[in-house]
Amino acid sequence: MNRKPLTLVIGAVLIIIFGLLLFVFQVRKSEVAVVTTFGRATRPITEPGAYFKWPWPIQMVHRFDQRVQNFEDKLTEGLTRDGFNLLTSVYVGWKITEPTNFFPKFAGSTEPIAEAERSLERLSGNAKRAVVGQHDLADLVSATDDGKNFLVIETEILKAIQSQLAANNYGLEVTFLGIKKLGLPDSVTQSVFEQMTSERKVLTDKLQFEGEREAQNIRSDAERRASEMLANAEGRATQIKGEGEAEAAKSLEVFKQNQDLAIFIFRLNALEGSLKDRSVLIFDQHTPPFDLFRGASPNLLKK
Amino acid sequence: MNDQPHSHGQPGLPSETPVDAGSQALSEALRSSFAIVKIVMAILLVVFLASGFFKVNPQEQAIILRFGKPVGEGPHALLGPGLHWSFPYPIDEYVKVSITGIQKVNSTVGWYATTPEQELAGSEPPPNASLNPAVDGYALTADGNIVHTRATLTYRIHDPIRYVFSFVSASNAVQSALDNALLYTASHFNVDDILTRDIAGFNEAVSKRVTEVVEAENLGIIVEQCIVQSIPPRQLKDAFANVLKAEINRSKVLNDARSYENQVLSKASADSRSRTNAAESERTRLVNDVSSRADQFNKLLPKYRENPNLFVQQRLTETLGRVFTNVQDKILVPESADGNSMELRYLFNRELPKPKTEETKP
Repeated sequence: MNRKPLTLVIGAVLIIIFGLLLFVFQVRKSEVAVVTTFGRATRPITEPGAYFKWPWPIQMVHRFDQRVQNFEDKLTEGLTRDGFNLLTSVYVGWKITEPTNFFPKFAGSTEPIAEAERSLERLSGNAKRAVVGQHDLADLVSATDDGKNFLVIETEILKAIQSQLAANNYGLEVTFLGIKKLGLPDSVTQSVFEQMTSERKVLTDKLQFEGEREAQNIRSDAERRASEMLANAEGRATQIKGEGEAEAAKSLEVFKQNQDLAIFIFRLNALEGSLKDRSVLIFDQHTPPFDLFRGASPNLLKK
Repeated sequence: MNDQPHSHGQPGLPSETPVDAGSQALSEALRSSFAIVKIVMAILLVVFLASGFFKVNPQEQAIILRFGKPVGEGPHALLGPGLHWSFPYPIDEYVKVSITGIQKVNSTVGWYATTPEQELAGSEPPPNASLNPAVDGYALTADGNIVHTRATLTYRIHDPIRYVFSFVSASNAVQSALDNALLYTASHFNVDDILTRDIAGFNEAVSKRVTEVVEAENLGIIVEQCIVQSIPPRQLKDAFANVLKAEINRSKVLNDARSYENQVLSKASADSRSRTNAAESERTRLVNDVSSRADQFNKLLPKYRENPNLFVQQRLTETLGRVFTNVQDKILVPESADGNSMELRYLFNRELPKPKTEETKP
């Protein structure tokens, strides 16, 4: 009798636990779930927490990862408006938003996520082909618009996929999309290489030519400036000399007092100056004072 | 709680026990096994509760989910390093997130196919004539060229709840964002800017773009650093090297020209300086010369005026005498008897450099 309440409590607890296991289920923060009643999706659960359900086989819970999935599609080829073959691959961030729509479409497969991504692959392929076909290659690859059109193209692909998803009730949402790979067909890369090679050649020649021309300019410029400098110096020198001569001319006034004497003195100075160094003088008897040898003194004596 | 009713029940037991020895033995056995079960249950309960302890390491944070819902809001939900306790599963559940460590992703979407071994050895696979887009990555540049470019991004997790609970693989998303940023940035840069002229600018632009994308996608991370490396296609190595060579050559040619310029100009300036200096000294010489002559003239003039003839003769003789004394060789050619001058031959063969000869004739 005394033991009975305890046994009852334990029994009640066990029953409650068992009942909870049957009637209650949890949905984690990273999950969404759908409750099916006899196999039909009847109740979506998008918030985490503990929920009530009827036990199997009446109701069942299907849980899905509701976090953003990362999906990259394959490279697909598309013609741009101006006729270039362009290979593109995009990455897509998507998640399950409406489990009631998602469940009937994809839950039949063993891997609903992979199944959904196969659908996405199809949608993105179509969207890319459509959007790339409306743009020139220069919209994607261009120095002029700061990449604005690149973003426009990405947004257009995203919009195209989103509208398809909404129209078909996939229960998915694409949250972001970006171009992951851009390429040209194999054979085209070869012609791009050829074109790049010739571009490099032009650049090489240009650098060489420019360098030589610039060097030539520097040299001739230097020569011109040098000769200008010298010409200026020459002019300055002439001017200085002229100044000197003008100054000297002032002193010449003095000599006007007696020109004969001045000329005589100049000549004497010149004679003395010119015979200063080692020199050999050859003279005859007419040269004074050696005219004495010839008898100049007898003249004097005669006098 | 287990012990209390147990001890109470013990004394009451004998009074109600039937006399039957067999059933008494059974109830004895039941009682003792019931006691063992109770002890086991108590131990299990303790073990169950103790299993709720968990440790968070210094580089980690943890979040407790109660019935799937995070306990606490926003940053309060995060538990720091140390020992923590939660109810064991299925009530609570804890998730650990590594946060303070710097995470790293590489983007090789724009790089040619290579293996880690080749990467380590620093070698590269031999180039094909073309690039197969399925295997070899590359980026298209604004001027329609092809370059290889790759990047390494380091980042910190800034919102761990978002990073873990909103993305299946946030690091994959970060890598995709980096791939996208590389392609996007390359698509409006010219090949020469990417490879040589504006490497830092390109790196900066990639870094800016990846930050924008990561923010737009709300990945809950903070970009720390982004390092970009770009090379021309292996197929065009020589062509690009030639341009580089031409550039080096160009600066060499220019430097040569500049040094020539310096040489010519400094020579010209030295020359012109010496030219004007010579003129200066010429002027000084001329002026001094004339003025000293004028002085001499002024001194001599009164003497001359006294007796011009005598003065002239005296000066002449005096000067000639001085001149003849200075002259090294003096040769007198006497007049021949018939009045004709004599023939004289003189051999100018002096060892000294500048012999001066003068011939004076009356």
